[in-house]
Amino acid sequence: MRFSVRIACKNIRRRPVRAALMCIIVLFLSFTAFMGGYLIISLQNGLDGYRARLGADIVVVPSSAQGHGTVDNVLLHGITGNYYIPQDSLEKLDGIEGIEKKTGQFYLTSAKASCCSVRVQIIGFDPETDFTVLPWISSSITGTLGDGDIIIGADIAYPADDCLRFYGESYRVAGQLEKTGTGLDNAVFTNRRTIRKMAESAAGSIERGSLRGVDTENAVSCVLIRVKDGYDSSEVADDINIHVSKVRATPSASMIGSVADGFGSVSVFISAAAAGIWLIAVVIMIAVFALMMNERRKEFAVLRVAGASGKMIVSAVSWEAALIGAAGSLIGLAVSLLLTAPLSESIRNHFSLPFMQPDIGVVVMLSAGAVIMPIIVGVAAAVLSALRITKNETGLLLREDA
Amino acid sequence: MKLRAENVGRMYFRSSKNTNFFYAVESLDLELEEGKITVITGRSGSGKTTLINMLCGLLTPSCGRVLLDDKDLYASGDRERSLLRNRSFGIIPQGQTGLQCLTAAENVLLPVSMYGSSKGKEDKARILLEKLGIDDLWDVYSNELSGGELRRMSVARALINDPGIIIADEPTGDLDADTTVLVMELLKERARNGAAVLIVTHDKDVMPYADTVYTMEKGVLKKA
Ligand SMILES: Nc1ncnc2c1ncn2[C@@H]1O[C@H](COP(=O)(O)OP(=O)(O)O)[C@@H](O)[C@H]1O
Ligand SMILES: [Mg+2]
Repeated sequence: MRFSVRIACKNIRRRPVRAALMCIIVLFLSFTAFMGGYLIISLQNGLDGYRARLGADIVVVPSSAQGHGTVDNVLLHGITGNYYIPQDSLEKLDGIEGIEKKTGQFYLTSAKASCCSVRVQIIGFDPETDFTVLPWISSSITGTLGDGDIIIGADIAYPADDCLRFYGESYRVAGQLEKTGTGLDNAVFTNRRTIRKMAESAAGSIERGSLRGVDTENAVSCVLIRVKDGYDSSEVADDINIHVSKVRATPSASMIGSVADGFGSVSVFISAAAAGIWLIAVVIMIAVFALMMNERRKEFAVLRVAGASGKMIVSAVSWEAALIGAAGSLIGLAVSLLLTAPLSESIRNHFSLPFMQPDIGVVVMLSAGAVIMPIIVGVAAAVLSALRITKNETGLLLREDA
Repeated sequence: MKLRAENVGRMYFRSSKNTNFFYAVESLDLELEEGKITVITGRSGSGKTTLINMLCGLLTPSCGRVLLDDKDLYASGDRERSLLRNRSFGIIPQGQTGLQCLTAAENVLLPVSMYGSSKGKEDKARILLEKLGIDDLWDVYSNELSGGELRRMSVARALINDPGIIIADEPTGDLDADTTVLVMELLKERARNGAAVLIVTHDKDVMPYADTVYTMEKGVLKKA
């Protein structure tokens, strides 16, 4: 082993408290780097997923569903009630100018009772007019979605027997969607005919008595609209809000906007917190190294007397910092990896933002960064403070407190 | 090996009435000969430590040259000078100089392990510690040693590489008369084997070993 490595190890072993202190500072650096990066990337992924999944320019929901059952609620939380757009309002939508495509969706909440395997949001789309769900589904499953088939979101456990029960009937799971980081991960998709059947059996059940009287044949929970080229989504939405009663039209840009704003402020908060912790930790680290090196002036002088070059001393100090840094940042990384799940969960609940964990490649990169960056900072701080001392002539260092 | 100082002097910054510097060592010549023990005495603050630091390559002179066998010490870079110090100089500095992270044995073997493996030199280290009467402290960490034990440890460290030049700054300051004899006998043995030895001291017990004695006064060296 090289002399500089040997002397570094001996120094660490003989000064365990000093080493442990440095280790803890480095641990903070690595934890903050990893966690900050992880959370921001997850939120960014969630936002991207949300944006990609919306797929429509305008979302029309019944005005009675204020606060509930809106598409952004479905996307974000996966919770809705059962609200439906009145038939006459639907007909009036036809008279609005500037609509290129529109498709109705029917939402049904499954009950948490013996009649249903899971409590989820069931989204029924119309295969003839749909332009948002099918393009997405077709990239996730092969084959077609027949009557009685369902597709489940990424967060729903895949049933062993390929079947889920809703209101007493069994439905075949035709596929599972990729994770989006939105409430849709907890949703079940199926075509219009199938969801009508579910709604009818639900209407007969005790849990969904509210469905009695709903015209399940024609009712829709929401209408997704794509605007013609040359028309402005918000103007068309205003038009709908003025001319069609009992519905509320929202341009999706504004929905994304509110989520993006939320994302923006949370990620600014996380970045600021991470930067603050880094700043403090780096300052402490530089100060501790400077103090530590000062107390070691005599030690360096002795090494010089025995024939060490300035380079050898800087190298020994670098090794010491690198070894301590490696230990600290690996522990920091381990702590981070243990805490990602609970911390992600609390961020997601606390801020109600779409959240999608990065894939393994990104996690590996983040981990590497979280280990390497604090080591570089530590070694740099150590080298700088060692250089400040070794630039002095040994003859001058030696006589201090001689 | 021969060490020669030519016109070597060193100034320090210090404000006084007329100037803001002074010469701690006035420009002087000195030659250390093979096989000889040279002793420098003088009052505290007369410039002895400054002079010998310049002689062993640890302090750049303000003027003049230091030649080791006609090689200018301060003309070479840090790496080369450090290696030269490791191979050719045995330095016993003023004050206590033990590395706390090392045992007595590791401290003694430091100059060896620095540029290679200390294997094979352990016997030699043991003999040195025996001659100095501290071989029982082999495994003891240096922060547990007394002043006199540390002093003898640094004597052994200075001698481990069989240096051609030995420079000692008050090597017997914290030793009793008997131990002083141990150290001086060891240095005398080295001189007899061809080393050039320079000792700065106030110790009367050292004088009988001297071949040449100088006194230093206010930076000026005079033959006694
Ligand atoms: N780094 C320095 N800066 C200023 N003055 C110094 C410095 N080092 C030594 N001196 C002064 O130089 C003079 C000689 O010091 P030194 O060589 O240590 O003397 P000695 O070893 O004979 O006691 C003293 O007056 C001391 O105060
Ligand atoms: Mg002195």
